Amino acid sequence: MSADDLVPPSSVVLVSGGSRGLGLEIVGDLLGRGVAVAAFARTVTPELDALARKHTGRALVGPVDVTDREAVASFVRTVERELGVVDGLVNNAAVGQDSLHVHTSPDRVASIVTTNLTAPLLLTRLVVRRLLAAGRRGRIVNVTSICAQRGFPGLVTYAATKGAMEAATRALARELRDRVLVNCVAPGFFASEMSAVLGSTQLDQIVRRTPTGHLTEPDEVAPLVRMLLLEHTNVQGQVLTTDGGASI
Amino acid sequence: MATLDRSRIRDLMGEVLAARGGTLPADESTELRSLGFRSLDFSELALRVEDETGTELNFDAPGLRRIATVGDVLDFLQDLQAA
Repeated sequence: MSADDLVPPSSVVLVSGGSRGLGLEIVGDLLGRGVAVAAFARTVTPELDALARKHTGRALVGPVDVTDREAVASFVRTVERELGVVDGLVNNAAVGQDSLHVHTSPDRVASIVTTNLTAPLLLTRLVVRRLLAAGRRGRIVNVTSICAQRGFPGLVTYAATKGAMEAATRALARELRDRVLVNCVAPGFFASEMSAVLGSTQLDQIVRRTPTGHLTEPDEVAPLVRMLLLEHTNVQGQVLTTDGGASI
Repeated sequence: MATLDRSRIRDLMGEVLAARGGTLPADESTELRSLGFRSLDFSELALRVEDETGTELNFDAPGLRRIATVGDVLDFLQDLQAA
């Protein structure tokens, strides 16, 4: 196997939902490794803006709603012009849910599906089309969730979209074969998310049931994303779960 | 939009509990846990209110988690109709 047969490390990575939390962590991590990174979110936070300023010439950020097809396409064209063809994509933008299915409005269900499933599928399609047209190879990491594999109340539509993204990942990996590596990283619940909705007693109970004794933090997920984008691992169509073993 | 008053919601809550073999106490500070009134019982009650008013009552789970007593249930459903 020669180096020419392998999908090279990504050199220009596009991160959706890069303004805060895990997305921001991924952007910072990749910029710190010398990768050119473009990131968008509905709002560019001061933290994301600061990263872009720190890495001028290698970073591009913009306020783009992932569900706005034209704005996304325009941003991708700008990235190509300023940084080069996108050969790494991190589908991270998503909206959460915390409502029982019977009490979630039809509009809210549709909105979650649009943001968490339709939008990343269309962004993937756009990036892969550009990549193939340029005769290049690339890598895609879809950020899913432990919710795709395990059932949790209040997350029916959210879980459906994440499970669908994992299914799409496997199908894409078959379609794109040796041209594009497509994988998922599935974090468990972040401490910050859990503490927002659960009391300390419930939180302590969850932590006790987690073999590693702590909930996942964004800086524990970013290295997995980086590995899938930059290392030669021959991992294709897989879901890497990082939840401290809570789901085993 | 039609709304149900506290008394009618209370009647419906009594019906939901009765279907489980329970009874609704007069004291609104009674803990739901002691009545065996669980989240799906609350959903059933909310859906019965919807049926009578003809309007969907959608809400997020955090509000539901704060409900602990009979009075909380009645307050929540009254507030939800008014929202």
